[in-house]
Amino acid sequence: MSADAFTKEVIHRALGAVGEEIFAALKRTSMSPIIYETLDCAVGITDARGEVLSQGNGVITFLGTLDAAVRSTLDKFGGDIEPGDLFITNDPYEGGGTHLSDVTLVLPVFHEERLVAFVASKAHWTEVGGMAPGSFTTDSTEVYQEGLQFPLVKLMERGAVNQALIELIRANVRLPDQTLGDLWAGVAANRVGEARVLELFGRYGAATMRDAMDSLLDYGERMVLAELKRLPKGTFTASDSIGGDGLGGGPYHVEAAVTIEDDRFTIDFTGTDPQAAGSINTTRTGMESRARGIFRAITAPHLATNGGMFRPLRILAPDGTLFTARRPAPTSTYWESGGFVIDLVWKALAPHVPDRLPAGSFLSVCATILKSEDPDSGGLSLLVEPLAGGWGAGCGKDGESGQFCPGNGDTYNIPVEVTERRHRVLVRRYGFHTEDGGAGRYRGGKGVVLDYEIDSENAWLTAIFGRNRFPCWGLEGGQDGSPNRIEIHRKGGRIEHHGSVTRLPVARGDVVRLITGTGGGFGDPQERPRTLVAEDLRNGYITERQAREHYGWS
Amino acid sequence: MRIATDVGGTFTDLVGYELDGGGRISRLVTHKVDSTPPAFERGVLEATRTVDARAVRFFAHGSTVVINALLSRQGAKTALVTTRGFRDVLEIARGNRPDLFNFAFRKPRPFVPRHLRREIDERTDADGQVIRAPALEGLREIVDDFREEGVEAIAVCLLHAYANDANERAVGAELRRRWPEVSIALSSDICREWREYERTSTTVLSAFVQPVTSRYLDSLASGLRRQGVSVTPFMLQSNGGATTVAAAARNPVSMVESGPASGVLGAIELGSALGERNLATIDIGGTTAKCALVPGLEPRVTTDYFIEKTATEPGYPIKTPVVEIVEIGSGGGSVAALDAGGKLRVGPESAGAVPGPAVYGRGGDRPTTTDAHILTGRIDASNLLGGRIAGDVERARRVFAPLAKTLGVTVGALAAGVLRIANADMATALKLVSIDKGYDPRDFTLVAFGGGGALHAVALGEALRFRKVIVPRNPAVFSAWGMLVTDLRRDFVQTRITPVDDANAPLLAAAFADLERDALDEVGRDSPDVALTCSRHADLRYRGQEHTVKVPFPKDTGAALAGFHEAHERAYSFRLDQAVELVNLHVTVRGALGGAHHPAIAANGSSVEGARTGTRRVDFDDDGHGEAAIYRRAKLPPGAEIAGPAILEEDASTCVLPPGRLARVDDYGHLHLTLAPGTES
Repeated sequence: MSADAFTKEVIHRALGAVGEEIFAALKRTSMSPIIYETLDCAVGITDARGEVLSQGNGVITFLGTLDAAVRSTLDKFGGDIEPGDLFITNDPYEGGGTHLSDVTLVLPVFHEERLVAFVASKAHWTEVGGMAPGSFTTDSTEVYQEGLQFPLVKLMERGAVNQALIELIRANVRLPDQTLGDLWAGVAANRVGEARVLELFGRYGAATMRDAMDSLLDYGERMVLAELKRLPKGTFTASDSIGGDGLGGGPYHVEAAVTIEDDRFTIDFTGTDPQAAGSINTTRTGMESRARGIFRAITAPHLATNGGMFRPLRILAPDGTLFTARRPAPTSTYWESGGFVIDLVWKALAPHVPDRLPAGSFLSVCATILKSEDPDSGGLSLLVEPLAGGWGAGCGKDGESGQFCPGNGDTYNIPVEVTERRHRVLVRRYGFHTEDGGAGRYRGGKGVVLDYEIDSENAWLTAIFGRNRFPCWGLEGGQDGSPNRIEIHRKGGRIEHHGSVTRLPVARGDVVRLITGTGGGFGDPQERPRTLVAEDLRNGYITERQAREHYGWS
Repeated sequence: MRIATDVGGTFTDLVGYELDGGGRISRLVTHKVDSTPPAFERGVLEATRTVDARAVRFFAHGSTVVINALLSRQGAKTALVTTRGFRDVLEIARGNRPDLFNFAFRKPRPFVPRHLRREIDERTDADGQVIRAPALEGLREIVDDFREEGVEAIAVCLLHAYANDANERAVGAELRRRWPEVSIALSSDICREWREYERTSTTVLSAFVQPVTSRYLDSLASGLRRQGVSVTPFMLQSNGGATTVAAAARNPVSMVESGPASGVLGAIELGSALGERNLATIDIGGTTAKCALVPGLEPRVTTDYFIEKTATEPGYPIKTPVVEIVEIGSGGGSVAALDAGGKLRVGPESAGAVPGPAVYGRGGDRPTTTDAHILTGRIDASNLLGGRIAGDVERARRVFAPLAKTLGVTVGALAAGVLRIANADMATALKLVSIDKGYDPRDFTLVAFGGGGALHAVALGEALRFRKVIVPRNPAVFSAWGMLVTDLRRDFVQTRITPVDDANAPLLAAAFADLERDALDEVGRDSPDVALTCSRHADLRYRGQEHTVKVPFPKDTGAALAGFHEAHERAYSFRLDQAVELVNLHVTVRGALGGAHHPAIAANGSSVEGARTGTRRVDFDDDGHGEAAIYRRAKLPPGAEIAGPAILEEDASTCVLPPGRLARVDDYGHLHLTLAPGTES
C-alpha cells in the first residue's frame, strides 16, 4: 500500500456515501408508496464499462439490474452517448429488466468531455398502464397487456427532454401525476449522483479515480474469495414445486445444483420447467439478480455492494425456462418464480451453512392490489402492498415472525392508521395466527393474518400468494411451514378460499382475510425444551392441541 | 450562582458560574466526578457538594437515566392494553429488514411479551369518530392478570387515539380506578402522531422507564433539598430545552437524549453573541463524533428518533421531539485495523478510556486515532488528559509498526493516513446533516468542540468548505456549558391530516389555537412564573407523497405554502404544482430562564509571544511536514492572531493549525480559524 492508498481509501468511502445519498434522495422524492415504503428500488454508480462501484438497495433483488442496464446502453448506443443524455428502459428481457413496472433510468457522467461513469436508478412505478390498474396482474398472457414498454430509448437528449415521450406516458397510464412524479424523482436522484461523482473527479482527477475504482472492484472480489475458501466444497442440489401460474397451469418443477470450489461458485438451473403461460415468469436478468442476492447472503452479507464481488459467481440456465423467459412471455408477477431462484440455492446449502441459512420461509411477496374508491374524491384508489409472514427456524434460534420475504428487504408495512385514512377499508385484525406448521426444536416464525372489511362500492382484489399448495420446508426434522392463502368472508357468511385472485369483486361488508405462512421448523419438536413449550403456550404462539400433538406436551 | 450537571455513562460533569453585581459572569467553575450507575443521583449529589448550595439560583440537569434504563433493559415490568385485533402490532413492528443480505437476521424483541399484551373491544375510525366505546368490564380480568404477573407499568395505546383520545382516557380512568398504584402511560399523553406501531412503541418505552425515572427524580430532588438547594431543578430534554421535574416525570422519554443536545445549545448561544446565524456543530469525544446543523440558530427538532437503530438494525422508534444529531463511531479512542480484504478502517471499535490509546500506557495495544495524533506530532505526549499522564510515545510507535509493515509504509505515513480516514468519516457525517439536507456549507460556520474537536477542525472545515471554523473557549466542557444557557422549551406535535388551502385556513387556525391553548395551559401549570411564548410549525407534504417537510406555519396560509415549496425544493430538488396537505401541527412553547453570555477575557498583560512555549515537528499530511510554533491557548490575549503552522494547546484539547491558516482569538476567548482559500471538497 503506497501513501496514495489512503487517498483511494477515502475515495472508496466517498463512493459508498454517494450510493447511500442517491438512494435516500430517490425514496424521499418518489410519489409511489411502493417506492418510498416498500423501497422497491435501487440506485447505483458504475464505472464507464458498467461495473458497479456503489449501490443503494431497498430490496435484494436488483443486484444485477443496474450494471446490466448500463451495459445494454453501451451496446446499443456506443458512440452515440452524449453529455445531457438520459436513457430509460423497462424491457423485461434485456437491459437489466424484470417486469414492466420496474423502470430504469441511466445517466452517463462526463468529466472533461470524457465518459467516466454512469448513475442508474430503478424503481417500481405504481402505474405503467396495461390491462389492469396497478399494472401487475395475474391474468396477462403476453407482455403487451402489462403496460407501456420503454425499449431503452433516450428520455433526454443533450439536455432536452423528449416531450413526445412524456406525452405518450401521460396518455397511457392511469395515474399520470404519480407516474411522472416517480419519473422526475428518478431523474433528480440520478442528477444528485452525477453531481457527487463529478465533485470527486474534480478533486482527485481522472487517473486517481480510475485507480481507486479499479481497486474497489478488486477488493470486493478478494473479500468474496476469502469467504469462499471457508465454505464446504462440492455439489449440492435442491428441487421444489411452484403451485401455479395464476391461469390454472402447474405445478411446475424447479431445481438447482450449486457447486462450490475454492475460487468459483456455480449455480446451474438446468432441469427447471419451461416458461409458463401466466405472468409468474422471470427473465434472465431478473434471475441473475436474485442469484447474486443469495450468493451474497452466503459469502458477504455485510460488504458494500460492488461488481467485483460477483466475479467468482457463474450462473448456468438454458433459455426459455421459468427463470429465463423469452419475449413475449408475461412477467408482471415475476417475483413468484424469482423467489424460488433464491430459495433453491438456500435449500441446497442450508444444511451445510446453518449459521447463515435457516429453514424455509413463507417466501412469497404475497402481493395484493385492493382497488376501492378514494374516500375524498371518489376516484380510483389502489392499495398495493406486500405482506409480512413467517421465516424459518435456524440452528439455535426460533424463526422470525411477521417479516417481509427474503426477496424484500428494508420494506415497511403500511400502518393500519394510514391505510384506513387513505382507503375505504376498516382493518379488523392484524396479528399472528396459530395454523399448524413450523413446529420444531426451534420453532418457525409466525405468519400473519390481515383482515380488511370493505367499505366501498366497486371494489376488487388482485393477489398472488405463492407457496399456497406447497408450503415452505423444515430442516433437520422440523415441520414444514403453513401455506400462504386468501379467504373471502362474504357478508352473508360464505367463505371462499384462494391462492391467487384476479380482480375479484368484493362488496361492502365483505371481509378479505389475507394469511401468510408460518416458517419451517428446525429439529425434532419433541426435543424442544419444555420451558419453551410452556412459554409458547402462555404467549399463545401455539395452541394446547399443537402442544400435545406436535410437541408431546402433557 | 447557576450550575448545570451532566451525567454521562462514565463521568458526571458540573459547570457553573457566579454573576457580579452588574450581571456579568465573575467566576466559572467546572468539576468532574465518576458516574455512579445505577444510582446516578449519588454522583450528581457528590458533584454539587463542591458548591455553596444556598447560593444556587438555577440548576439544570442532563441525565442518561432514561437511555440507560432502555439500553440495559432495567425498567419496569410493562404491560400493554390495545385495540382488539392489534396486540401483535408491537411485535410485527414494520416487518423491515435493513440487514438485507443477512438471512439469519434477528428482529428486535418487543419490550412487552405477548401474554402481557391484552386487547379490549373498542374502536375509533380515521376521522376520530368513536365507532365503539370501550368495553371497560373487560379490564377487570386484565387487571387481575397483570397484578398476578407483578406488572409495574401499563401502556395504553388504542387505534386512532391521536385523532380522538376519548376511548383511551376512559380506559386509563378505569385502570386507575381499579389499580390506583400502578404506573400508567396513555399514548395520547406521550405521542399524538399517527402510525400505530411507532406510537405504541413510544408509549411502551415511556411506561417502561416511568417508575425508574420518577424514583431517580424524587431521590435527586430530595437530596438537593437536603444539601440546601432551594430551587427546583430543570431537566434537559432531547428537544434542546429544559422542563420541570414534574413534566419530565410524566413524559420521561422526552429526556432520552438529554446530553447531546446541550452542545447545540451552547453553539446557539455562541452564535447569537457573535452574530453568526448559520451554524454546524461537531462534538468529537473518545468514542463518537456528533454533528448537527443549526440554520438561523434554530436547531432542527424532529420526532424521527430511534434507539438501537443502525445500518443493519431497525431499532425501536420513540416519537419524541429530538434535536437532529448524526452520530458516528469515530473519536479519539477509535481503533485502526485492516479487514479481511485489506481495507483500513478506523472505528467504530474504540479503546475507550480503559485501556485507552496505546500512548496512555495503560495496556492499550491497538493503534488509535489519538496515537496517530501523537505520532504526527499534532498532540504533545505531555498534554494528554490535561497533563495528568505522561504519554508513552514509543509504545504508540510499537503498536503502529506491525500495521505499517503489513501496508508497506512508514509509521509516520500510516499515522497521517489513519487521520485522513478519520477525517473522511467525520466529513461524511457532517455532509449528512448539511449537504444531504440541501444546505450549502459555504453559508455556515462550523463550531468544533469536545476533547477532539479542535484537532480535526481545520480538516473538516475545508473538506466541506465551511465559511469558517470556531473552536469555543473550554471546548472539552462546552456541552455542559450549553445547559447553563438553556431556555424552557416544550414541543407539542399532533397529527391532523388537512388540506392547506384558503377554504381550510380557518379550520387550521382554530386547530393551532386549540393546541397552543392546551400547550400553554400545561406548561403554565408547571412553570407559573415564566413568561411563555408560542411558535408554530407544521409537517407538510404534497398530497400523494408520504414524507413531510417541517416548516414554520405563519398565520398567512399563502406565506406558509411558499415556505413549504421552498423547503421542499431545498430538501428534494424539486417543487410540484400540486395540492399541499398538513400532516402534523407542531407548537413550541418557550420561556426564557435567564442564562448569561460567555464572559469576555482580559488581556492581563499577556502577549502572543508570551503564550509561545516553543516549536516541534508536526506532520500536516498534504500541507507538509515541518516546524510548528506551539502556544498555550489560555495565555493568548483577545485579538491575538496566529499564523499556521502552529499548535494551540490547552487542558484536554489541542488545536491544529496547518501552514497558511490563521487563528484569531476573540473577546470571549473563542478561536476563529480562517481556512485556506480555494479549498475544494
